[in-house]
Amino acid sequence: MRFSPFIDGLWKNNGVFKQVLGTCPTLAVTTSVKNGLGMGLATTFVLICSNAVISMIKNIVPSKVRIPVFIVIIASFVTIVDLIMNAYLHDLHKVLGLFIPLIVVNCIILGRAESFASKNSVFSSILDGFGIGLGFTLALTILGSLREILGNGSIIGINIFGGSYSPAIVMILPPGAFIGLGFIMFMIAYFEKRKKN
Amino acid sequence: MKNNLNLIYIPAIVSAIAAFLLAFTFSSTKEKIEEAYRQEMLKALNIVLPKHNNKPDQEKVELEGKEVYIAKEDGSLVGFAIKSKSSKGYSGDIDILVGIDKSGKVSGVEILKHAETPGLGSKIETDSFKNSFKGLGKSDKIMVKKDGGIIDQFSGATISPRAVCEAVTEAVRFINDKVITNSKISGGGK
Repeated sequence: MRFSPFIDGLWKNNGVFKQVLGTCPTLAVTTSVKNGLGMGLATTFVLICSNAVISMIKNIVPSKVRIPVFIVIIASFVTIVDLIMNAYLHDLHKVLGLFIPLIVVNCIILGRAESFASKNSVFSSILDGFGIGLGFTLALTILGSLREILGNGSIIGINIFGGSYSPAIVMILPPGAFIGLGFIMFMIAYFEKRKKN
Repeated sequence: MKNNLNLIYIPAIVSAIAAFLLAFTFSSTKEKIEEAYRQEMLKALNIVLPKHNNKPDQEKVELEGKEVYIAKEDGSLVGFAIKSKSSKGYSGDIDILVGIDKSGKVSGVEILKHAETPGLGSKIETDSFKNSFKGLGKSDKIMVKKDGGIIDQFSGATISPRAVCEAVTEAVRFINDKVITNSKISGGGK
């Protein structure tokens, strides 16, 4: 199927929930929906660009030096995103700034370059980058909303419980990230297993 | 042999193209980024300083390596603003901007940069905390209540407010001792 790389990337190969890759940004930035969404979209952009370029040059890059070449390409796109975000989305950059350079070492990106873009056509590599990127964004947004609702009593910055709710602060602290991610992965595994039986 | 050369020039070409793209992006976003930082600073200055109608970010003087922003209303001096920082925060430095009126009392405090724990230490960004410094001067005990001062700490977070208190105290001392007494700056003015 023509669009299957996109669908697969979005759910079946979901970087966070299924392959458990890229957990560093997943755990670190998901204190709110906005942060998760911003990080996810920045990563998606880098993923699409790096997948496209790597797939374009896959036949001329000698396999012995492919990793350094991939890293140079990925790092360049990350720096470009960093600069553009700082210039045009300054407030979001203030929050995510520290984590943007970390996109370089997000295993999802190098993983897709290695296992997909270096073996497939430009078109399906872009689709794959798009799917995996949106899957990553989805995962970060789900975890971000869970943590923001429980840990801060708000969603996208809007208070939903009113003043009397005292939030479970642990959810926006680092342990909350592990608890939240573990819980979501448990739910997914549970329902998928039940469906199979 | 040809393959071995490939190992050198392919990465070199890729790096060269990457360098070119980066240089292009950098130079085309440079001004925009500087403008964004300037706007941010200007916004903070307007919050902390008493009412003024000059451009404090353009009328600054350097004193002992620190930049003092000077606010004027119709040409006469109304206050100062100075950046201050504390390294005693919970994670990383806390950078703040302190506005001080011409009598040496705090007219406003703004947090410029911090990496305190969201939900706990990050409450130093709330208005009620920042406003609790207003009107305090050199003789006031700018410390958290736990340390015998007059500033409210938050339940579960004492370290971050304490660090802010330290930075404010330093700024108040500096302005009172070095700037207000300095006739070149606070005397006649321009």
